[in-house]
Amino acid sequence: MPVVNYASREITCKIVYYGPGRSGKTSNLQYIHRRVPAARRGEMMSLATHGDRTLFFDFLPIDLGAISGFTTRFQLYTVPGQVYYRSTRRLVLQGADGVVFVADSQRRQAEENVESYRDLHEALAEQGVDVRDVPLVLQYNKQDLPPDLVASPDELDALLNFRAVPTFAADALGGRGVFETLRRVSELVLRRLATPATVIR
Amino acid sequence: MTRAVAPWLDAPLTDFVRQARVGMAVALEPSGRVLAQHGFTRALDVMAVCSLVAAIHASASELGRQVGGRPFGPLHHGASGQQVFLAPAAAGSGTVLVLAVFDDRTSLGVVRHFFAAFARAVATVPDEDRATGPLTGDFERDLGRNLAVLFGRA
Repeated sequence: MPVVNYASREITCKIVYYGPGRSGKTSNLQYIHRRVPAARRGEMMSLATHGDRTLFFDFLPIDLGAISGFTTRFQLYTVPGQVYYRSTRRLVLQGADGVVFVADSQRRQAEENVESYRDLHEALAEQGVDVRDVPLVLQYNKQDLPPDLVASPDELDALLNFRAVPTFAADALGGRGVFETLRRVSELVLRRLATPATVIR
Repeated sequence: MTRAVAPWLDAPLTDFVRQARVGMAVALEPSGRVLAQHGFTRALDVMAVCSLVAAIHASASELGRQVGGRPFGPLHHGASGQQVFLAPAAAGSGTVLVLAVFDDRTSLGVVRHFFAAFARAVATVPDEDRATGPLTGDFERDLGRNLAVLFGRA
């Protein structure tokens, strides 16, 4: 659960961007990093290989400002998408307050999307988390590619969205849908704090 | 000055910093969320440090399990000027990680000694309790406005 300090009126939340390799998780954080003023964010850290693939995680802290009188900060993480980094994904997912699943809309990536989405559910279950309790948003990225290459949001809904969670069509490189995705998962995470919550005093 | 998000860590971390003579220290959850810190000036920088500490600890623990069946314990990195000491401490039903940054004004042995005292001090802490949620029902308005400002859409 988010860390809440009533004395200093601060809230800290952890949001993890999950999804198959090269689906655009890092691009989401890079766009946010570019758009958010330096005074309201930290440096973006990327633990990457020489080939620029995420090795461990990307990390970007942002300061959302005062929400209901609480200084609210979000820690945004990505996981490495490649199949063989399974154990690393579990480490980064630990303690997540919300998850954005970034799917690659290309038709040829359908199997990778399903496999990664299944991996997410397994990882949460292994951590004793009921997936129905985790704020989750699906982002269908790369919708800017030629229509014959990509599945439509409706098709991706049929493939992935059996839980009927919020979805957003996106082009993370260009920024389309990035803001909306972050806003929605933020709402879902913070809504849990508008009801009885776990608090460290 | 020590600053604690989790007030029960305030005194133990302050004592540790003073007695071990470390320059900077941060206490965090294994998930990477900061609980208390000393010596850092910017909250966002602390969060970045915490994400790395959590990753190092998680990696070392997992590596230990893979090669020997048990997670590795404390970790020390030495360099010409500064050194870091990273160790977990049981705190109630959970775990607190501590990263201490120090120089030649103290030694690894002294840091270890006073970390042990810190670990004893935090062994019994009040468990998390349940309370009314802090946010009011109209938090969406603040959230929407602040995000719009951040993204230059206001």
